[in-house]
Amino acid sequence: MDCAVALTPQAADMPASPPPLLEVRDFSLRRGQAVVLDGVNLALHPGETLGLIGESGAGKSTLALALIGLLRAPEVQLQGSLRFRGTELTQLREADYRRLRGNKIGLIFQDATAALNPCFTVGEQIAEPLKRHLGLSKWDRRDRAAALMQSVGIPEPRLRLDAYPHELSGGMQQRVMIAVALACNPELLLADEPTSALDVTIQAQIMELILDRVRALNSSAVFVLHDLALGAQVCDRIAVMYAGQIVEEGPSDRVLAAPLHPYTRGLKSCVVELGSRMLEPIPGQVPPLNAMPAGCRFAPRCPKAKAICSEQRPLAEIHDGRQVACWFID
Amino acid sequence: MFQAVSARLAQTLLVLLIVSAASFAFLKLAPGDPVSIMLGSDYSQASYDKLTHELGLDQPIVLQYGRWLADFVRGDWGTSYITNQDIFELAVLQALPVTLTLAALSLLIALVVGIPTGVLAALYRNSWIDVLATTLAIGGNAFPSFYLGIILIWLFGVDLGWFPVLGFVAPWEDFWQGLWHLVLPAVTLGAWYVGLIARITRSSLLEVLGQPYILAAKARGEPGWRVVWVHGMRNVLMPLVTVIGLQLGGMLRGAVMTEVVFALPGLGMMVTTAVLNREYIVVQAGIMLTGLLFVAVNLAVDQTYQFLDPRLRRR
Repeated sequence: MDCAVALTPQAADMPASPPPLLEVRDFSLRRGQAVVLDGVNLALHPGETLGLIGESGAGKSTLALALIGLLRAPEVQLQGSLRFRGTELTQLREADYRRLRGNKIGLIFQDATAALNPCFTVGEQIAEPLKRHLGLSKWDRRDRAAALMQSVGIPEPRLRLDAYPHELSGGMQQRVMIAVALACNPELLLADEPTSALDVTIQAQIMELILDRVRALNSSAVFVLHDLALGAQVCDRIAVMYAGQIVEEGPSDRVLAAPLHPYTRGLKSCVVELGSRMLEPIPGQVPPLNAMPAGCRFAPRCPKAKAICSEQRPLAEIHDGRQVACWFID
Repeated sequence: MFQAVSARLAQTLLVLLIVSAASFAFLKLAPGDPVSIMLGSDYSQASYDKLTHELGLDQPIVLQYGRWLADFVRGDWGTSYITNQDIFELAVLQALPVTLTLAALSLLIALVVGIPTGVLAALYRNSWIDVLATTLAIGGNAFPSFYLGIILIWLFGVDLGWFPVLGFVAPWEDFWQGLWHLVLPAVTLGAWYVGLIARITRSSLLEVLGQPYILAAKARGEPGWRVVWVHGMRNVLMPLVTVIGLQLGGMLRGAVMTEVVFALPGLGMMVTTAVLNREYIVVQAGIMLTGLLFVAVNLAVDQTYQFLDPRLRRR
């Protein structure tokens, strides 16, 4: 990870830097009248890890599902652009998108117990993308599935291949889920709250495992998290989302050390630190999707809000190497 | 594993014992005295007592039940007063295969029509396809089978002349002729099941398709048809088998109607004729056989669960 952090500013400085692996531009997602994602801008370079941070309902998981193409028209209406390896994803035919899913883009679900089919063995589920995308023969699939299980730290993989999900512990199930997502060495790994359904004792192990595999495969990853501190710890960059918009995005260390957006500050001060008695909850709650404020969506809860905030939406400005959407960046 | 199976078998035997006791009591409670029937109108008290003793009817009722049960298990089910036929032969070798063939064919039709209908209704929920499928399903379920049978006979048998109106040809003797004769009865009996299967398939599939593992299968790049028919339907099988097993009673009830309407020599026809002739001993055989069938199917369904749902398998 250190290596990737060091690379990021360098890549930004050099004009001949490689194009981003993933580029999200002015991306909006509407479900009927409700604007679930509003003008999202992001770039992810090869080998980079990005954390999407925010409260539940901020649109983090929606963005992840939209990236892997599981939320598309006619179910929802998309605007703007999602470019992956130079391909415009929003225009992609379903059959072509399917070739990316589980192959070039992998997705780890929050709750492995629910995301593994109870009627199929874990070996079958790991082998599925190997058959679909790589066309491996039955015995090659078994060998590769066992190797994948070994690589995600499942002991005695040969025996566990024929186990059903319910025969494994929650931690082991999540390891299987990771093996499924990584089966075809994806260039982009999406992880939707990969540890929040697990016991605290194994959360760190699983997080470490995912980072370890991402580095080993030299993939890029997007983590959906609700914990700002955890996000800053595991990701190179952080994008803080609020009510379907990105309010602040930049290198993790700087966002965490000196947050510029009032919401990021609020998130930071919500974290209980050992020995400190300072716990400042953000007042109020996220507005419902059908009653979003016209201006800044955070304005009704913002301690610094002025008249302009509730009238006009602040555009993201580049400030200190990050994009911040606020009228009053000091 | 062994313990669980033997516990289940003991339970099954108990149920069968209760069925047999009820069926024996039915014979005892039925009006009419078998001795006087056998002796005819003119007999002496001495010959009456002699025959009563010979038949063992002067013994305690528990002993009579025990003897009857032993005879039943041995396959000695008595002889019909009217046709003088061995009842075991009549019920098990002649009537049962007809009913089983009819039931199997009806179930096959119901599955072949009901499952795709339910899947279509689930996939195009709230569209006109769904409305049409649901209407047909409820209609098939609500329509009385004897009435449907008569309409089918009139339309396809009499008017169009495509299918034979009544009668039975054993498919194991002449397969195509047998099938030909069974088409209308099987459609009649199956129509009721189609609606049931379609509705269960629709609701179960809708529930399953909302599960995260379906989204996960899509996220692996699985094509839509595989997501529905493999990942989805594999999980729909359990509720489907449950309902099919539970509704076997309805199936047997429907079979009685269908057999009478189409004059098929099955169990339903046998029992109906026996009731009309007041041949209680044959009715009793019908009750026992139906009970056995019921228990056997339930046992089979239970065993199927373990096969279908890995979570229920014991290691």
